[in-house]
Amino acid sequence: MRDYSLPIEIHDLTVSYQKRPVLYGVDLEIEEGSLVGVLGPNGAGKSTLIKTVMNMIKPNGGYVKIFGKSPKEGIKRIGYIPQRESIDWDFPVTVFDVVLMGRYGHHRWLGRIGKEDRRKANECLEQVSMLPYADRPIGNLSGGQQQRVFLARALAQESAVYLMDEPFAGVDAVTEKAIVSILQGMKNQGKTLVVVHHDLSSAKEYFDQLLLLNMRKVAFGPIAEVYTHELLQKTYGGKLTVLSEMATETARNSHA
Amino acid sequence: MHFIPSFDFERIFLQPWSGSELVAWNGQVILMGLLVCWASGIIGTFIVVRRMALMGDAISHGILPGLVIAYLLWGSLEIGPMLIGACTAGMACSFCIEWLNQNSSLKKDASMAIVFTTFFALGVTLINLQTGHLDIDTECILYGEIGLTPLAPKLIFMGIELGNRSLWTIGVIFILIVLTICVFYRQLLLTSFDAILAQSFGWPVKGIHFALMLLLALCTVASLEAVGVILVVAMLIFPCVTASFFFKRLPVILLCTFPLGVLYTFGGFHLAHWLDCSIAAAMVIAASSVFLIALIISPQTRIGRFFYRQKTL
Amino acid sequence: MITKIKILGILIGIFASHQLLEAKQIGSETQLDWFVQAERFLRMDDPSIQRVIVGCLIMGVSCGLIGSYVVTRRLSLFGDTLSHAILPGIAVGFIWSGTKDNYSIFVGAMIAGFLGVSCLSVLKKFTKINGDSSLGIVLSAFYAFGICLLTRIQKVGYSDQAGLDSFMFGQISSFSTQDLCGQFFTLLLIGLFIFFNYRQLLVSGFDFQFSRSIGIPSELLQYGLWILISFCVISSLQMVGVILVSAMLVIPAATASLISKRMNTYLTLASILGAIAGFVGAFLSFLGKNLPTGPLIVLVAGSFFALVLFLQPQKGILFQWLRLRSENSRIAIENTLKAAFQILESRDFQETEISSQEMMRKRGLSSAEVQRETLNLINAGLATKSTLFTEDTQLLPQTNLTLTPKGWEYSCKIVRNHRLWELYLTNEAEYEPDHVHEDAEKIEHVIGEKTVRKLEKLLKNPRTDPHGKLIPSMTDIQQGHFSLKS
Repeated sequence: MRDYSLPIEIHDLTVSYQKRPVLYGVDLEIEEGSLVGVLGPNGAGKSTLIKTVMNMIKPNGGYVKIFGKSPKEGIKRIGYIPQRESIDWDFPVTVFDVVLMGRYGHHRWLGRIGKEDRRKANECLEQVSMLPYADRPIGNLSGGQQQRVFLARALAQESAVYLMDEPFAGVDAVTEKAIVSILQGMKNQGKTLVVVHHDLSSAKEYFDQLLLLNMRKVAFGPIAEVYTHELLQKTYGGKLTVLSEMATETARNSHA
Repeated sequence: MHFIPSFDFERIFLQPWSGSELVAWNGQVILMGLLVCWASGIIGTFIVVRRMALMGDAISHGILPGLVIAYLLWGSLEIGPMLIGACTAGMACSFCIEWLNQNSSLKKDASMAIVFTTFFALGVTLINLQTGHLDIDTECILYGEIGLTPLAPKLIFMGIELGNRSLWTIGVIFILIVLTICVFYRQLLLTSFDAILAQSFGWPVKGIHFALMLLLALCTVASLEAVGVILVVAMLIFPCVTASFFFKRLPVILLCTFPLGVLYTFGGFHLAHWLDCSIAAAMVIAASSVFLIALIISPQTRIGRFFYRQKTL
Repeated sequence: MITKIKILGILIGIFASHQLLEAKQIGSETQLDWFVQAERFLRMDDPSIQRVIVGCLIMGVSCGLIGSYVVTRRLSLFGDTLSHAILPGIAVGFIWSGTKDNYSIFVGAMIAGFLGVSCLSVLKKFTKINGDSSLGIVLSAFYAFGICLLTRIQKVGYSDQAGLDSFMFGQISSFSTQDLCGQFFTLLLIGLFIFFNYRQLLVSGFDFQFSRSIGIPSELLQYGLWILISFCVISSLQMVGVILVSAMLVIPAATASLISKRMNTYLTLASILGAIAGFVGAFLSFLGKNLPTGPLIVLVAGSFFALVLFLQPQKGILFQWLRLRSENSRIAIENTLKAAFQILESRDFQETEISSQEMMRKRGLSSAEVQRETLNLINAGLATKSTLFTEDTQLLPQTNLTLTPKGWEYSCKIVRNHRLWELYLTNEAEYEPDHVHEDAEKIEHVIGEKTVRKLEKLLKNPRTDPHGKLIPSMTDIQQGHFSLKS
């Protein structure tokens, strides 16, 4: 048996939405220092997987462990970057305010935010090349700039694990390259990164390991082993659709 | 037409402050107005940035049956039972809306409309069944009567007579609101902007929401006598949206509530003196006028840009 | 569908008669009073009462019809804002004509409504203010202006101002023939609009962009709806009042939406519910010595909503809760049966009695829980019990259960479904065979006969599951468990 806890351990995870399974029996063990890309067709459950780990969705079966702890405890050690659509960009805060929010978790309920926190926030802004924009209201930013601000906030959290939901969606090429190099840097520091990605071709370059997901785990492992024609075919089409059809039908039968 | 009275500067602006008795009376009215504007403005800013503006409307309607039932159970119009009854009803209203939204196929807007109108209808019916026994009349509910503030009963707390009950109530609630915002500013800010991040820190997001709704209900009850249920919505929304035209940071917007409150109260008071109409309504008209002016001269809106040279961002 | 209307009709009938009965029973000296009033109302002799009844029916239908579009297009709060925004229009109309002349009030209200909608559009186009907040701004600003005018009117003391108060909460006693004509006219307009534009409204309500792309004048239709909402609000003022008229737009339609999702049934139901709410509310207000009608009508509509929400057959909250409970108990029974089969199987089907100890071990439950489960099986006719008393006073008496033929058949079916499903997952879906699904909340408990047939065909009628265990077939079940002895 292991004597250390894995950053993320998922066993037999089943999540259903309105009696239809979105994730069924997923097993996953992610080691520290991994840079994992999550691929799969639409509706495959990629975002659901991330949200279940973040304790935003309750599973119907199986469990998630974060460093050996339950999600409720464990998410304190995770930095989460949600999809950009879920943010209110008209909120009256500046770029610096947003990044500083990442430091809130480091203090007790009523603890003071001090110079150290501000310094750290500025440092993270520098890392993503957004320091000149520190006093800009967040509504005035482009898509790529918005993504960088949230990355800076996640860096400010100084978490051990980072979960990102489609960070490259709608982002310009320059920002994309910049984010990838930052991710590589984070991995080299020993952080664990799990990134939901939408683009097959770039996935090969950006990540070390891939998780192929289509309601259940199709494959997980190093790029060389997993990025094969056969496995990709299995993920994006073919036999597994029968499983989802049957599942839908049984869900319908149970209503009768 | 005698409809609009003549504009006599002396009568409108100087006369209310001419004698010491008048100053004492009108001073209390003004103080009430200021406190209502400030308290509602601060709480309202958080309501607006959380995109729950009409929830404020819903809760302010929803507290009505609570007031009446508290009266029926306690037999008197003591402030304590009133507050408890109103807050319970307000919380129940908010809870029912959420429950209905989640447990039926109805969308948020329909759930809100159903719940608060039914609650309000219940309150009005109960009042009407009690006519003659109850000192709340429906007109007071609708637009309050701030001009009668000095007539409010005296508050007796632990045997000591403290003074005007209405002023004390709104005063205490105002201080409570200011304290809460100052102490828990970070918590309110983060849960309003990104509740998921707050949850990942282990913060009680639902509890904070509940506390905010409670403060809102308290503020509404305390303002009820002065401005009524419908105009309190204006006091919640106008300060924040007006300030947002010029400032883009939350702390500054909160601070703007104070000068705006002064504008609304004095402007409304003298406007009502001129037109001889409801002071609360005049306050809201003052607020709308300030809003309109801000809309036109602000650099943020497209109208405003006609008046400014375009600066490159 | 027909059964649902019948049931609803019965419920309404019960509700209405209960109201009448209650009206009769309250108070002793007023008893005669209320009864007389009720009779007067229902006999409809009085022309004013006739007007009121026709008026509230028409109002209910109009509000229900246009309300259906309000709810489906998420305009509920917009309806509320509009109803508050027309107040200054009413006041101005009153001042203009000096009397409670309907025509000028109507025009005034329409203009105010139009201004309100324009303000909303301006706010949307020129500022970044959130939709909710803009509604709040227009609502309170216009309303304040209206109150200002109204209090002014009170001070100046116009002669006919008493009528204005009725605009706040509605008052059927001041319901005139003119009001009735206004309502009829509104209903006619609404009916014609919906009749001629039914399909277009359907498409544009569902997908605005798509409808525009296929040439439907969706913007015009939207404006048309807004105008009709204003008409409906204004014509219902006398009955329900400014404050609560939006409730009449939303509540009957929302109740109908719980029952049916098809537009034509939806429209019909909303109208019927609106009409009944209007009638009963007006009736109650008449009984209560001229209480304002608005709140009562809204309360009646609200109670209908609550009734349907909770008691609607199949979809009502109460029924859902009951069904969940029965489903949980069914799952519990099936788990017990599966365990029973596995125990018998482990003994190679030699004996037919299962002791409670074995069940406790297999299921990992306490003695009390096993007793409860055994009782459930017995009550369902799936097992019989025999108690064995031992001479040793230390040991508790053992309860053994034996499956009845019906129980045997049921347990075989469960096990068959479970093992087929596992086989399918392992072979076809390359599932890990070590995921043992003892947990009852999985899909296999809800697989129907049709799906099982499909599975058997797909897997070519297998005899063993991934663990090498037997998959009982139909013939095994029919011949009873002795046939499985090797």
